[in-house]
Amino acid sequence: MLGFADIWVVLGYCATLGSVLFCLVYGIVCRHKGTEEKDGDYREEIRWEREEIDLIEKLP
Amino acid sequence: MAYLITFIILYLVVTIYLGYVGYRRTTTVSDYLLAGRSVHPVTMALSYGSTYISTSAIIGFGGISALYGFSMMWLAFLNIMVGVFVAFVVFGKRTRKMSKSLDAHTFPELLGRRYDSRFVQGFSALVILIFMPLYSAAILTGIARFVEVYLNVPFATAYLVFLLITACYVIWGGLKGVLYTSAFQGLIMIAMMMAIGITTYAAAGGIIDAHRSLTSLAPLVPAALIESGHRGFTAMPAWGSPLWWYVVTTMIMGVGVGVIGQPQLNIRFMTLKSDRELNRAIPFTAFFILLSTGIAFMVGALTNVSFYNNYLGLAIQEVQGNVDKIIPLFIERFYPPWFVALFLVTLMAAAMSANSSQFHTLGTCLSRDIFEQALLKGKSVAETTIVTRIGIVFSIFATLILGLILPEGSVAMATALFFSLSGSTFIPAYLFALYWKRGTKAAAKASIVSGFCSSLIWMVFFHENEAKWLGLSRAFFGKETLAGLPWSMIDPQVIALPIAMIVFVAVSLSTRPVKEETIRAAFRHI
Repeated sequence: MLGFADIWVVLGYCATLGSVLFCLVYGIVCRHKGTEEKDGDYREEIRWEREEIDLIEKLP
Repeated sequence: MAYLITFIILYLVVTIYLGYVGYRRTTTVSDYLLAGRSVHPVTMALSYGSTYISTSAIIGFGGISALYGFSMMWLAFLNIMVGVFVAFVVFGKRTRKMSKSLDAHTFPELLGRRYDSRFVQGFSALVILIFMPLYSAAILTGIARFVEVYLNVPFATAYLVFLLITACYVIWGGLKGVLYTSAFQGLIMIAMMMAIGITTYAAAGGIIDAHRSLTSLAPLVPAALIESGHRGFTAMPAWGSPLWWYVVTTMIMGVGVGVIGQPQLNIRFMTLKSDRELNRAIPFTAFFILLSTGIAFMVGALTNVSFYNNYLGLAIQEVQGNVDKIIPLFIERFYPPWFVALFLVTLMAAAMSANSSQFHTLGTCLSRDIFEQALLKGKSVAETTIVTRIGIVFSIFATLILGLILPEGSVAMATALFFSLSGSTFIPAYLFALYWKRGTKAAAKASIVSGFCSSLIWMVFFHENEAKWLGLSRAFFGKETLAGLPWSMIDPQVIALPIAMIVFVAVSLSTRPVKEETIRAAFRHI
């Protein structure tokens, strides 16, 4: 099959191409998912910003 | 030569410019350590791919494919399924969220804060600091050897020049400099590998005819390889034979699974703003891996057809047994001089993109994990960026020394050693940190130490490849390895990873859980 002598190599070849297709489909299906963060996230952003500003002010 | 010098200058100018852009856009500590946690998915995908795929993947494993044939396609499959899909979806999403909740900026810091343990953070950082320079040196040695051959530049000079250029943009550009330059380097890599893949298949008469021609070369396989289990270039080695154990456990599983424990890759997940960017980066990264390693493995195997059709010998015979020379010799013999020059630039890109990320990781380990944890008892200071730069200089110096003392032919060995060691040491503690709230501080300590020690012991005394190379087994016991076949062929990670997993679960069930507030903070967004 496909010019190969062993079914395991055929499977490895097809699995490699199939895994890329799978990742492509996953990326397309989920391209808009995952933007929503749970409550409380913005507070961390504010804390980080404060820490960063503090550190920049302390820079020599 | 004129082509080569032109391409190298062009490449270096763009690389240095992108490093400068990274430097201009770096204003905060978070910018320097995590590129401000707002990287574009395509930049992340290209950078992840080019850090993952180094010179040793194209040259080392391409050459290995010329020897073991298309069985190496299973490694390409694992590179994509484990190295991209599992790494991004199973590990990446939770790593991003947990590192944000715990305000972790490095991989050891994530483990340390999750288990509330400074030992976990410090020990993990030490393992990285001691062993990663070996991997960096191996990659840089590979490319410096090629420059030595093609340009007649002394090895030490070539090695030093690459080290200095990479050092410049990592030290000043921080992670942004690393990401921008490695994305550019990634683009060069996929363009060149695609060109090589298409022309190789076309020259052999198309996909199926190329495979058939390779299948017909089975009778030419050297007798020693047939004895150890080789059944031709388009078949897996005989089941259970020494070669099967070596190809499946060391080449396919060792590298294919070990990628999960690579700190310079895990840090990429922390640079993204949300899971959406991670989802979008997955297809780009998967294509990148197919076009880089996938093609390198296919072309590696098919070099036998080209060499046989033109020189009546197999690739391995043309290079007198040195597999590292197969891909360069193939490019030199079958492509025009300007293409050879471009290929050399591609190798530089592959080496420098992997090296830059490693230097950055090493620098942050020293500053964030050792300096802040050990000396400042966890206090974060503005001087972290300066200490990181000092750390990067230290790691570059260590890489320089190692590169100059490493013996010839140790590139693949040093790569495999680091993959195995970091896989066995980090994977169990990392996996359970993300998924099992019951995992305890004592379990993390015991798992990391047992994974590290059992992997190291197996390498030094049992696994034939490293045991022979290191020579300690011979010095202590008068034997190359203490294990017989097939044990001497089984990769250290196959032994050490289950040990570290079992230790983690057993110790977790018999010790006190991590403080409730730490767990609540770690899993806040999950």
